Amino acid sequence: MPATDHAMRNVVVTGGSRGLGLGIARSLANAGFQVIAVARGAGAFISTAQAEVAEAGKGALHFEPYDLSALDGIGDFVKHVSRKFGPLYGLVNNAAIGSAGLLSNMPNADIEKLIRLNVVSPITLTKYMVRSVMARGGAGGGRIVNISSVVSSTGYSGLSVYSATKSSLLGFTRSLAREVGPLGMTVNAVAPGFVETDMTHDLTPPQRKKIASRSALQRMAEVDDVAHAVAFLFSENAKNITGTVMTVDAGNTA
Amino acid sequence: MLFPSEAELIRSTIIAQIEEIAAQQKKTLAPLTDNLRLLESGLDSLCIAVLVASLDDRLDLDPFGSDGLQHFPVTLGEFIKLYENARH
Repeated sequence: MPATDHAMRNVVVTGGSRGLGLGIARSLANAGFQVIAVARGAGAFISTAQAEVAEAGKGALHFEPYDLSALDGIGDFVKHVSRKFGPLYGLVNNAAIGSAGLLSNMPNADIEKLIRLNVVSPITLTKYMVRSVMARGGAGGGRIVNISSVVSSTGYSGLSVYSATKSSLLGFTRSLAREVGPLGMTVNAVAPGFVETDMTHDLTPPQRKKIASRSALQRMAEVDDVAHAVAFLFSENAKNITGTVMTVDAGNTA
Repeated sequence: MLFPSEAELIRSTIIAQIEEIAAQQKKTLAPLTDNLRLLESGLDSLCIAVLVASLDDRLDLDPFGSDGLQHFPVTLGEFIKLYENARH
């Protein structure tokens, strides 16, 4: 497969080197997209996923390193990706940190870091991705999916700042959907429940059991469930779905 | 100071992009004179945003950059002048 295949639509997945982001990247690549996974480092799993995607032969999975906390360079990074792979069609804002802690004890610097990485970075990246679509007059439209969380709609002690960042993505999703709708772009959010990733590895067995027992389906959602939801929102079947949020939590918030 | 050809290129690119975007977005344009107020040009705010993104792509110029501007240009002539000055 060539390094750049312009026949495939390009989708950037942030935090795409591991966990949920890698699952989303793999799912979109297997749906026929050319996925550019972005993270600070490639990690141990991306090459295996790339091999799987290549063997499936439908899409492509590439990796581009970038530290999304470097806000000033995001515009140039988007231009770099566009020049290397071709015009961008989609963006999945998945990268986030999930620092937990009681608000009263959380260092101010940690609060600011959470908000910067979980809110300012994805909004800034989206700005330049939208401009990339605008630069071609909106031809072909585009898709944006913001990864929120069920904690944006239900409380969880110790995650107040994280919850604030994930709630903000929902407001961003709805208003941006109205802004860019005339260009044929859709903007949606996916709100996963607690899924098995690095971000939730600190949960104790009793906490996991409690979460599962509170869910309608008596289990936790899995990475693939969320990845398939994102892939659906990128499919032709979802062309008239915009400005909404899809919850994937095995009925935890039902 | 720009060479006349550079200034002409910037002006002609801006005019061409305005006409292309208006056609894409099905907007009726007023005659494109320097004194034309952008708000009365027939382009809405989304069209202006598309114009700025297109010019960044074609001219590699973004005078609205990361720090933005104190005052958005009011007329087409001011808008063009802003891009000419950004080339310096």
